[in-house]
Amino acid sequence: MITATSTEHLVYKTRNASLSQSDSTNSYILRFFNDELEFRACEFISFKRKIQQLDLPQLLSTEAPDVEVLYLPHCDRLMVLSIHEILELREVLAGAFTMLELNSVIHREIVRKV
Amino acid sequence: MKDILRRHHVLKEEIVELINKQIKMEAHSSSAYLAMAAWCDVRGYDNSAEFFFKQSDEERVHQLKFFHYLTDMECDAVSPGTDMPQHEFPTLRSVFEKALEMEIAVTDSIHNMVKVCREHGDIATEEFLRWFVQEQIEEEFVARRTLELFDVLGEDKIGLGLLEQQVLSVQYDGGNA
Repeated sequence: MITATSTEHLVYKTRNASLSQSDSTNSYILRFFNDELEFRACEFISFKRKIQQLDLPQLLSTEAPDVEVLYLPHCDRLMVLSIHEILELREVLAGAFTMLELNSVIHREIVRKV
Repeated sequence: MKDILRRHHVLKEEIVELINKQIKMEAHSSSAYLAMAAWCDVRGYDNSAEFFFKQSDEERVHQLKFFHYLTDMECDAVSPGTDMPQHEFPTLRSVFEKALEMEIAVTDSIHNMVKVCREHGDIATEEFLRWFVQEQIEEEFVARRTLELFDVLGEDKIGLGLLEQQVLSVQYDGGNA
């Protein structure tokens, strides 16, 4: 269990999901319902891409199963996601990346210029 | 809050996606040139086969340049699966026509990448692409000049024999002529 510390910053939060950045471990922590997953930066970007690439119209078709199984090789785990869960993950990841990019802009324009 | 994203992910996602598409395109070109080389080789066009074997190697080098660039930037480089290239051609000329078409498609793709880099202010990648822009000038020149040999020498047996003699000597002089 990853505990929140002073070096952990909440980046973005939705109803059932949150994304934090740990400055001590240089990692991202996704809390989703009762689950908690830690990612290094490259794994996190890869995870976001996988979520974006899920084919929702295909899931909505009657012949397909209405869940998607996603393998996370970095922690050797499987995620079983419903359509609602995929949409919420997309929302938290989109919001988090916007905030992280804003943080990059702040560092570029203010922090590194001092 | 640290800027971890910038430390470990230098390029924008759109740029990474474009470069991965280019890696796939170069891989396909390498594979397609290999198929052309095979077509020429079994029909006795040894020098044309050598020409395409060399082209295939060059496309592989291009693919690896893009691949290493992504890994050097700590971005996800995707090793591509490629579609089956065209293996059947009606004539030797049609092989070289296909080669020129492929080079033009690669040039268009590289130029598009430069435009996207400019839109995103990605100066490093634009600079990296400069070599490819120059390389495509050469690649297109060689493909075009070789194709023109068919018009100059004709397509009867003597013409094709002369083309075989000349195909390996077509070179771009860098605009110094």
